Amino acid sequence: MTALDRWVSGLTRGLARRTSRRGLFGTLGMLLVGGAALPLLPVARRAGAREPAPGEPDPSTPEGDPTHCEYWRFCSIDGFAASCCGGTATSCPPGTEMSAVTWIGTCRNPVDGKDYIVSYNDCCGKGPCGNCFCHRNEGDKPVYLPQRSNDIGWCMGRAGVIYNSTVSIVIGVSTEQRGQAGGAL
Amino acid sequence: MTRRGVLLRSSFSRSTQGLVVWACMTLVLVWAADADADVAVERIGQVESLPSPFGPHWMWASDALLERISLVDLDSGTFLGQINAGYGVPVALFSPDRTEIYLPETHHSRRTRGIRTDVATIYDAVSLAPVDEVILPPKRAMNPLPSGNSALSDDQRFLAVFNMTPATSLAVVDLEARRFVAEIQTPGCSMVYAAGDRRFVMLCGDGSLLSVVLDEDGRARRMQQSAPFFDPELDPVTEKGVRWGDSWIFVSFAGWVHVIDFSSGEPSFESPWSLISDQDRARSWRIGGAQHLALHEPTGRLYVAVHQGGPDTHKEGGTEVWVYDIAARERVGRIELRNPGVTVMGMGLAFGRDWIWPFNGLYDFLLDHVAPAFPIEYIAVTQDEEPILATGSSFSASLGVYDALSGEFLRRVVTGNMTVQALQPSPFRGAVAAGDGVQP
Repeated sequence: MTALDRWVSGLTRGLARRTSRRGLFGTLGMLLVGGAALPLLPVARRAGAREPAPGEPDPSTPEGDPTHCEYWRFCSIDGFAASCCGGTATSCPPGTEMSAVTWIGTCRNPVDGKDYIVSYNDCCGKGPCGNCFCHRNEGDKPVYLPQRSNDIGWCMGRAGVIYNSTVSIVIGVSTEQRGQAGGAL
Repeated sequence: MTRRGVLLRSSFSRSTQGLVVWACMTLVLVWAADADADVAVERIGQVESLPSPFGPHWMWASDALLERISLVDLDSGTFLGQINAGYGVPVALFSPDRTEIYLPETHHSRRTRGIRTDVATIYDAVSLAPVDEVILPPKRAMNPLPSGNSALSDDQRFLAVFNMTPATSLAVVDLEARRFVAEIQTPGCSMVYAAGDRRFVMLCGDGSLLSVVLDEDGRARRMQQSAPFFDPELDPVTEKGVRWGDSWIFVSFAGWVHVIDFSSGEPSFESPWSLISDQDRARSWRIGGAQHLALHEPTGRLYVAVHQGGPDTHKEGGTEVWVYDIAARERVGRIELRNPGVTVMGMGLAFGRDWIWPFNGLYDFLLDHVAPAFPIEYIAVTQDEEPILATGSSFSASLGVYDALSGEFLRRVVTGNMTVQALQPSPFRGAVAAGDGVQP
């Protein structure tokens, strides 16, 4: 063994004694967590800006931006917003299938002050998207009221029950008091 | 001898000599190694069973991402084993008499697509190996609830699995005969809870309770729907009921306790009482979380995760656990919850525990005072004389461990999961051996 070999061997053995893989992952994890805690630059938030749809809030605001959980239509959602998963607020990501049955909520549009009935169809057949996990639950009811429960995986009856994400489709204006609208679709 | 023959002989003898030298050197090395060995020669192929006797503070923690349920010892922090499942939140049922575990699972032939197979897998509770299975109708309800999607009859003979397509029904399995018996249609009613040897009950959309009474073959003998006992529109009960002897306890969004007593055979509905005083309600205290109730049966104490929030925060995790004497209908304690710990890919980020004082407490200080407080969505209590309260969050795979009687925070335990979606105390006690529960 050469002197260089001995030196490298001693260095690596010492390093191995003082550290662990777990510690390395731990440090990396802390950095990740710390990075996630840093505020995002406003420039990044504006990158995906679009023209406002008629009668909808300014898309530069969270309540008008479908890539934010504060988006007005997401008031009863508990899942991944399809608009952050390759789809839009009203269409599913590529390669998925939209569930035929679903639950509905009633959300107030801040522009016109009206309550709209929103159909939350699940996008099915691919694994969980992982982006924009929205957990708002306004008007959510337990599973024994299925048409009002966002805990149910509505991919049932499709080719697969695998849940990917959820769309929020306006299907009408509510004429009832907010939170009281119901009925299976 | 020809020149060619000489060459061949020479070549043969060189290779033979080399082989002999190599074999001798190997023998010498093996002898030398054996002579100097500090570690005895070991046997290949050994597989552990769970240690016996089973510990009183073992906890099963479900993980929908890794599709498994991990078993950890909350005293030592040791990871003991796991059972794997298919798609969805895996929640097991336990038969202490047979030392078996039953796990309803859903699988697809191409993992995210293809032919769906629902199955109740039967595990030996000591070896954690699958020993049998019963194929179910591919209709199992898909939701993230940590309880109420399947139930074991009190005599542990029948397993009922809640189906939703969205038509609702129960699939009944005879666990002794190891066969699917029947599908019972239950229109308008969901979830399933055991209330006797032959009775399962369900919650209905009009606020009533459906009793499904089985015959000895596991088929529906009688279906009986009660009058509504809560208002599903104004103040629905959550599906996360807990069993208290012959009673079931359900709590409404607004914190009203509904006790249903089955001791007479038929359901009897006690007058509701509130967990939240007027003063606390004025301060916006509410119940909340995916598994917001736990019960310690020997002391009759109910543990409730609570937080301060507005309407529709019934899924928001708790910042405190309030403890109630159920019989006296009064609060007897408050436990302030701490961050269960930061984990990444199942690994706890604990550091500095072996640093010199006071720096050895830096990790806990940062978790308690700097890191964002994870909402506690899952709570569970062990059923022994010195019970442990375990707390979990889907945003962390670590568990907070508390003395359930004093409320003292004891430690954090890493589950090895990527997330937590249900907590179940291990019901097994005492010494058992692998195969004890396996039927011939």
